[in-house]
Order: sequence, then structure tokens, then C-alpha cells
Amino acid sequence: MRVDVQGLTVRYGSVTAVDDMSFSLSGNKIYGLLGRNGSGKTSLMSVLAGYRKPAGSVELDGVPVFENAAAMRQVCLVRHTPDAADKGDKVSYVLEYGAAWRETWDNDYALELAELFKLSLKAKAGELSLGQRSALGVVIGLASRSPLTMFDESHLGMDTPTRYAFYDALLNDFMAHPRTIIVSTHLIEELASLLEEVVIIDGGRLVLQEEADVLRSRGTEVTGNAADVDEFTAGLTVLSEKSLGRTKATMVYGTLDDARLIRARQLGLELGPIALQDLFVHLTATVGGVR
Amino acid sequence: MKIFRHLTTTLVTFCAIVAAVVFAFAVVVTFVVSAFSDIEISAWNVVASQIARWFLFWVGIYVIHNVLPIAVAHGRTRREFLVAASGFSVVLAVAMSVLARLGFLAEGGIYALMDWHADEHGTPLAYFLMFLVWCVAGMFCAAAFDRFGAAGVFSVPVGLASVIITTVRIPGSGNLPFIGNIPSLLGEGWHVASVAAFLVVLAGTWAVVRDMPVRVRTS
Amino acid sequence: MFDDRSPIYRQIADRIKADVLSGALTADEQVMSTNQYAAYYRINPATAAKAFQQLVDEKVLYKKRGIGMFVSTEARDMLRAQGRETFFGEVVDPMVAEARAIGIPLDDVIRRIEQHQNGAV
Repeated sequence: MRVDVQGLTVRYGSVTAVDDMSFSLSGNKIYGLLGRNGSGKTSLMSVLAGYRKPAGSVELDGVPVFENAAAMRQVCLVRHTPDAADKGDKVSYVLEYGAAWRETWDNDYALELAELFKLSLKAKAGELSLGQRSALGVVIGLASRSPLTMFDESHLGMDTPTRYAFYDALLNDFMAHPRTIIVSTHLIEELASLLEEVVIIDGGRLVLQEEADVLRSRGTEVTGNAADVDEFTAGLTVLSEKSLGRTKATMVYGTLDDARLIRARQLGLELGPIALQDLFVHLTATVGGVR
Repeated sequence: MKIFRHLTTTLVTFCAIVAAVVFAFAVVVTFVVSAFSDIEISAWNVVASQIARWFLFWVGIYVIHNVLPIAVAHGRTRREFLVAASGFSVVLAVAMSVLARLGFLAEGGIYALMDWHADEHGTPLAYFLMFLVWCVAGMFCAAAFDRFGAAGVFSVPVGLASVIITTVRIPGSGNLPFIGNIPSLLGEGWHVASVAAFLVVLAGTWAVVRDMPVRVRTS
Repeated sequence: MFDDRSPIYRQIADRIKADVLSGALTADEQVMSTNQYAAYYRINPATAAKAFQQLVDEKVLYKKRGIGMFVSTEARDMLRAQGRETFFGEVVDPMVAEARAIGIPLDDVIRRIEQHQNGAV
């Protein structure tokens, strides 16, 4: 499944949610779509699912998505409130929609997952708790076995054991039935090890797209004597700085070559890695401030 | 067609059950009323000519407002859905007009037994066209309000005009809001006008829905 | 679980190497498949595959097509030799630096090592 987004813009009245975004995804992978609140994740995913007509081009396997049966068939977007459910519908009825309308739907698997997440088939969708609604969304998303499956903050309201059950189910089903999966989340550290590639967006724009491991390798935290740290980091892209007395810890972005590594050792500086979540925080806009 | 099959099996069955229940209720009410006064009109006529159409209108709303977004969420296109919904509206209108006819027959039998008097009611074709147009009018209004919010109110006069055409020729169909007694301007061509109304409103629905955003959330 | 701060595939590779050194994994023994590894540690299978590929490149593991990955016969000896090289630079020298920083005379350090040698500790 190949996803090609070209010059995508999404506006709601005067608000621009996605601003001239272009990127491509290829190959069956688990992608992380990372972005702050209001960064445009949901709008982007809505367009990928054919929920809105895009300005710009959005194609799946070279075919535009919107109102194209062959393309829309292959997509399943789930959010923490199941879009594919009416408040008054019973859970069993909600699953029947999937069975009736999706060719790739695996109903046995859906029932297994419903049991795993302790969803009563008789409960009405509107009566479920937030966590249970999210779980229902996950059931729909996984059982759909769609070639492009997207989970938009599907963990919302879930307690920790349920989230872990979700991650395990996601991973195991991905390995058994490889497809393109996009997960958007705020809980980056929990999900980080599951992600093969990350797409970071901010303010409706693409910040970067990279393999998770490569991204991690570009972040370094340099700790040591403040003057030495400053000398070392001069000319590098600085993400953040922290000082305590004469010790300073500076996060820098960019691969460090061997010469730099030797210099660090000479200066007696400690070089440490940066977690994906921290990289994300520092690569996107500060809250209430300007980068 | 999966959507068509789903709509017909679930909603037509539902409507048939409702019709049966309402019929039984109407008969009971008639018996109760007969204890106090003479029966001059057909209770079922009240149902068929005045009440049923609002039910069909609601079904039209439900199809667009509730079912369409679920279909899109399951990878169906709006066009596929509209095609299925259009066919469904015809099937539903046929089914309901058949049920209306059966109701009149059954009621006629009861009235004959009880020596009650019923008033005149419309032909099955008239009911079919009325139900059909009221159903798509519901679809049209739901689409307009879902897409344009409060501005969707433009659909109301359009819907109203279309349903008046079908209702005019049905005796006992009573008065619609804002509209008094409309003289039969259309003469015998009224069923052609009804079909035209159906097509116009359906086309309007199509125009509104074909690139309508669904499940709008800003984030 | 894995520390998210350094490349996970390197941590996996290091862990397998440690198992080979300790004898937990023996020569020509089959290791878990990438999918099993991924499921067990809850990591992306591509990451596990990258780690395994690195170990194959380093000749710690070898692949039997259609069957799986196995520990190479010479892995343990090779890792020991590599370990020897890094041991002095990465373990002994820092230990000496630390002892000096704290103010422990090296003679005390040597005595302690001799106690280990004699089995007194």
C-alpha cells in the first residue's frame, strides 16, 4: 500500500488545519503520526480515509481516495469515538456493519477482540465508557484488516492494562497480516518501540519523516562543565539547554561525526541518547511560544 | 449491493413491524371511540394519510444523518450509498403503500362487520408517491442541515413544495403547516408532477451529499 | 523492557551477544524468530530484523533459509576476543580513574583483585 500526499491543504472556514503538506508512505509498516493538539493529525487522517474532499492530491496506490470506491474500500480510520457506530446501536450490531460492508473483515477475530477488551455485545455504543468506546474502535480497526488502517488516539480513556492489550493485539496482528498501519498518539514513549517510521507534523506542516531508529540516532544530550558544553555545541542545532550550577545539559540535533566524538571525550563530556518523546517535544513548537 | 440489502432488510422490516403495531392500535382506538360516538371516518386513513408520511420523512432523515456516515466510515463512497438509498426509498414506498392497502382491506372488513362508516381514502399509487416524496424530502433536509448547518433551512421550502404536490390528491390528508387548502391546480397530471418532484428532490440530495464531509472534527 | 533512548536494535544485539557470552545461548542453537522476539519484547519486527541482520553481518549469527537464525559456532570465542580488547579500555581504565578520584591507593585495588583470585571473596 502506497500513500502519496501532495500539496494537501485542509481548511475549516478561516482555520487552516493542514498547510500544503506533502509526503509518501510506502511498504507495510507501523507508522507513528506524531503531533501536538491542533497540529492537523485528525484532519490529515480524515482526508486519507475519504471523509473530506482534499485540496491537493491524496492517493492510495496511485489512485485518488475521495469518492473512489476501489481506494476507500481499503481504508479504515478509527478514532476514540467509533465513527462507524450510532449511539443507539448495540455493539453486536456495530460489528455487523463491518461484517456486511467490508470484504476484508474477520468476524471471528472481531468477536475475540471484543471479548479481550471485555466489551459486552449487548451494550449500546452510547452507553459505553470512554475507554470502552476506544476499545470498540480498536476492535473495528483491527478486525477490518484494511490495507491502510489508522488509529487516531485510540488509547484515549483506556487504562494501562487495556492499552498494553491494544499494543500486543496490534503488533501480533500486524505480524500475522502485514499492512500499513498509522497510529497517532500522545503517549509516544509507550508506543515508541512499536514504530518503524515516524511522521512528525506541527501547525499543519510536515516537520520530518524518518525511520524511528535513525531519528533517535540524531539526538544527543551533552552533559558536562558549562563552558566545555558550550564550546562543543557551538554550530550545532540546539534543541534545549538546562543548567544546574556549573553543569549544563544541552540537547543537540544532528549526527555527530567521529571527530566530534573524540573531542567530546577529550573535553570529558558525557554523551547520552534522547528518547523519541523528548525529541518530539523539542522539535515541535513550544506551548504558547514562538520557535 | 450490500448497502441496498442492508437498508431494505433492516429498515423495511422495522417499518413493517411499526405499521402492524400501529394498525392494531388504530383498531383498538376505533373500538374505544365507538363506545362514545358513531364512527364516521377510517382511523387507518388518518394513519396512512396524515401520520405515516412523517414516519417516512423521519426514515429519510435517518438514512442520511445516521447511516451514511457509518457507510463512509466503512469505506463506501457517497455515490454508492446514494444509489442504494434511492433504490431503497422506492422499495420502502412500495412496501408501505402495500401495507396501507392491506390495512384498508382489513379495516374495511372490520367496519363492514361493525356497520361503521369510513371516509374516502387515496389510491395505492397516490400513497406510493406520497411516501416516496416524503422519504426523499427527509433525505434532502437531513443532507442540507448536516452539510450547511442552520443555512440548510433552504431545503425546507423545497421539501414542502414537493410534498404538497403529492398530498393534494389524497382525501383526508389534512392540512400541512402554513398551507391551507390548495386548489387542485395540477389536475390529472399530478402523479407526473409527483414523480418530477421526487426526481428533483433526489437530485438535490445528490448534489448536496456527493462531496459532503462526514464526521467533521477539527483537531 | 527496552530503554527508548538508544537504538533499540543495538540493545537487542547487545543482549544477544551477552547471552552468547554467558552461555545462555550455545553454538548452533536456534534463536527466536524476529516475530517471536518482537512479540515477546513488544517491539516492531523490523527493529528485531535489523538487530539480527547486524549480528549476521558481525558473524555472531547465521541464517538457515526457511528455518531461522542460529548462533554461529565461533561466536563465543569471537565475542570473548572482542571483549578482551575493550575490557581494558572500557572497564579497567575507568575503574582505575575512579579509584584515583575517590583516593583509593591502587595497591588496595590490586589486593582486592588478588582476594578474588584466591577465592577469599
